[in-house]
This record gives sequence, C-alpha cells and structure tokens, in this order.
Amino acid sequence: YNFTDCDFEKIRKKYQEVIYQALNKYMNGVKTTEFNNYIYCEDPPDCLAKIDLITFYPTHGCTTLAKEIFAIRTNATLTLQCPGYSGTQINNTQAKKKRKKRQVTTNKCREQVSHLMELWRRFSRISKQ
Amino acid sequence: HPEPVLQVRIINFNFETVQVTWSPRRYSGTNLTFVYNSDEASRPCCNYIVHESHTAGCLLEARKDEILCFSLGNGTDILFQKCEWISAYLKPSSPEDLSFRWHEDAVTVTCSDLPYKRLVYEIQYKSIFDTEWQSKEGETCNVTMQGLDSEKCYFFRARVKTLESSYGSDTYPSDWSKVTHQQRGELRGEACYTAVHGPAACLLGRVEW
Amino acid sequence: GESGYAQNGDFDDAELDDYPFSCYSQLEVDESQHLLTCTFDDPDVNSTNLEFEICGALLDVKCLTFNKMQEMYFIRTKKFLLIGDSEICVKLKGKKITCRKMNVVKIVKPEAPFDIRVIYREGANDFLVTFNTSHLQKKYVKELLHEVAYRQEKHENDWMHVNLSSTKLALLQRKLQPDAMYEIKVRSIPNHDYFEGFWSEWSPSFHFRTPEITGRMDP
Repeated sequence: YNFTDCDFEKIRKKYQEVIYQALNKYMNGVKTTEFNNYIYCEDPPDCLAKIDLITFYPTHGCTTLAKEIFAIRTNATLTLQCPGYSGTQINNTQAKKKRKKRQVTTNKCREQVSHLMELWRRFSRISKQ
Repeated sequence: HPEPVLQVRIINFNFETVQVTWSPRRYSGTNLTFVYNSDEASRPCCNYIVHESHTAGCLLEARKDEILCFSLGNGTDILFQKCEWISAYLKPSSPEDLSFRWHEDAVTVTCSDLPYKRLVYEIQYKSIFDTEWQSKEGETCNVTMQGLDSEKCYFFRARVKTLESSYGSDTYPSDWSKVTHQQRGELRGEACYTAVHGPAACLLGRVEW
Repeated sequence: GESGYAQNGDFDDAELDDYPFSCYSQLEVDESQHLLTCTFDDPDVNSTNLEFEICGALLDVKCLTFNKMQEMYFIRTKKFLLIGDSEICVKLKGKKITCRKMNVVKIVKPEAPFDIRVIYREGANDFLVTFNTSHLQKKYVKELLHEVAYRQEKHENDWMHVNLSSTKLALLQRKLQPDAMYEIKVRSIPNHDYFEGFWSEWSPSFHFRTPEITGRMDP
C-alpha cells in the first residue's frame, strides 16, 4: 500500500493525542534511547510504511504487536485517514486473550516498539503543519 | 542492564552541533577513539574534546534531523557502539529579541520561531508581588497573557522546550532568555525594584458546599 | 460528528422522535476508566423497558450495553478506542428504535474544578484567585479553558466572567466595590482540537469580603 494519499495532519493528531499514550504505556518506563535506533524514514509516506510493517507484520522474536492497544488504534487511524487502506482484520476476542496471555513483554518486542516510537516521532516532526 | 563500560552523553545544540562526551569507568587514562558513520562511510572524529590530556568527547557538525551511528574504542576493542536519532537529545537555542505588544490588561510576547517544529514556547512572568513565576505556553512564539495590572511592573523570560511525543524524554529545555522588565510597554530596567514593599496576604472568606 | 437517525420500521416517525437523547463522556475518571452517560432529553419519557447500547470504536468488543440508574444510563469502561465514531442506540425489547452517531472524544464534559481560594494581597492591591483541576494529571484531556465567574452577592445576576487557561488569576482591588461580599466560582471546557465537548459543572462557590477603603481586611 502506498501511503502518499493519507491525511498526514489528521494522523499526526491522532498519534499525538491517543496512540502515543498507548505506546508509552506499553514501554512501561523503558526509554527508547536504551535501544539501538537505526531505522530511518525519509518522509511521511515512508515513515507510515515502516510503521505499518513493524506494527502488523510479526518478526522473529516478537509476533504479538498487532494485538496491542497502540496497534488497534494505529489500524483504526490508517483505515480512517488513508484512502483504500484495508487495515488488518483483528479478531477482537483473540486480541484480548493474546494481551492477557502475554504477561511479560519480551525485550525483543520492546526493541521493536522502540523503533516504532522513533518512527512515529520522526513522522510527527516532519508532517507539514 | 549490566553497568555500562562507558557513560556517554549526547547533546544536539539546535541541530547545529552535536556534542558526544564520555567518561570511562574502567578505561580512565586511555585515549579512546571516536568513529562515526557519515554518508555510508566511517570517519574518525576530527574535533576531539580533551580533558586532562585524554580524549573526553567529540564535536560534530549536525546537518539535519538524522541518525548518528558511532563507536568508541581503545585501538584494539570496540567498547561502545550506538545508533541514535540526534533529535532525541535536542537542546534548542534560547529565544532572542522578545517583543511585547500591550493591549488593555493583556500583553502578547513574540519572537522568531525556530526552523523546526513540535516545540513548546514557554513565557514566564511575575510581578514584584508574586513569589513564583507564572507560565504560559504556545506552539509558536506568539503567546498572550491576560489579567495583567497596568499599574504593576512585570518580569518576563522565555525558553523553548520540545514536545515529548515528537522528540522523546531525553531532550533538554533551552536556556532562559535574559529577563525583561516591563510596565504597560515601557522598559523599566531597575525601576521594578524601587516599588517593592513586603506584600501582605491573608486567606479570605469561606467555601460554600 | 453527531447525526441522529431512526432505524426500526415498527415505529412511525412521530414516536421515534419522542426519544431524543444526549450523551457526554468523562475520560480517565478513575485511573484509566472512562465514563459515558446518556439521558433522554424529555424527563417524562417512560423509560421502563428502554435500554441503551454503544457499538463501534471499541477495544476487544463490538458493542457494550449501558447500566441504568434512575433516569440515567451509563457505562464505566476502559474499552473506548478514542478514534472514530460509535453508534449509540435506544433499544426496546432488543430492537433498535433510534440511534445517533457519536464520537466519544467530541462529547467530553470535564470534571468540575475544585478548591477555589482567594487571597487578598494588600501590597499588590489585588485578590489572588487559585483553584485546582483533576485534569492536570490526566493523559488525554489535559488542555482546558476555565471560566471564572464572580459577582457582588447583593447583585443577583450581575456576574462578571474571565476566561483563562491557567489556574491562577489576579482580580484588581480597584475594579471591585470596597467593603462588599463577593461570590466566585469556576468551570471548565475542553480547549483542544482533538478533544471537544461541553462545560463542566460549576465548582463550589467561594465567598469573600473586600476591605473598606482604608485597606483593612476582615475575612
């Protein structure tokens, strides 16, 4: 999906007002600067593409991010503000079970969310208004 | 987390200069070398900060909102390696040339905005009767404060902070601007202090529940 | 945005219009729990078999049913997504009879400010008004506009109003009557472009007397 036609300003507001708080809650006091942050994004569409990738596509060592509250909010935001974005069909009840079962947030997942936070920050710094 | 071998501190001065300083816990007395990535190439530091005749930091020219990858070694081993957005350690420059526009019981303070976004411009003010500064913030350097008394002299100062959701929690607020004294638009210099006499205060009345 | 529409064919339009309702949300009322409250606009509606339900923009569930307490319907939950519209419907025996599209972040009613105090500062010839708000500690609705209202007690409807975003205000002595009893109170409204909504209730009032011309003050 090409994120060029998204409404970046509305996405930025939703990130700043409700997604950021959920990301912060997930990290539970662990700072992103405690990890190596090497994932760069050039412009808003590039940032959203990488945010979409890390949030919704499982990686080795961290397969559960898509069920987290910040991910459900990200999905709702991209579905609302990006024309044609189909979004990830999250099975609600399964999402809750996954969140309950995942008692300990793996460090690998925290590292992934650290990358996410840095990409969202970059996105908010460079989106127009 | 095990105790890091090196304590490293990064400050990004207004996206103009990045200062990386280190204080070796175990390798004191060793000249550490700083190597960083720039345009896909590894480069040694060309502007070391020296302390007690040993390298203690490196000053780099910042070019844009980018990721800095660097390492510190003692010639044989790499002791520390990190990649970070330099924005995570931003210290904006402090506001200059504040201008004041008084209208009735309000004043609008303006200054030139910095060239990058998601900042918080904080203006603090107090009269000689106030024990604490009062703050008013804005997303641009155009902040209006109401309810001021035209018969009082006020102190004003300003600084710039970063929005945590856009820069993280490891940034630094700018230094405060110098303090300005104003009364309804006239610069009062030291005259602000002549009117001082101890403010008497007493809590009044009762609350109706 | 808010738009109302009826959905059930068993009622003719006139009856459906008999059930207009209004709702407001209060976010993080305790810790991370939110509160959504709805009431019928007409207090005389016979609400015995009527239920409220919200669907959409919820975490983990599709819909939630309201609890009822006298004539008020409410939900206390952490499941608001806080993004996008929900649909709030009135149901009679399981059938939707009227619905409205609402966005929980656009119908926010802040908690009332509290602890309003007035300190007379003789040297400064003013009255320092301070008050508190629970919203300073919240994660979501942090930015409010406050309205301070004050009047001389003997002038029933002669309220003066001041809008401010901070929780401290100085009233100038020269703008008040000497040796007079005053009443002062404050309320709040969301002051943001993401969270919007309505005025809170007024804080409890505070009463104070201004000093006589000589400047002596007696509480």
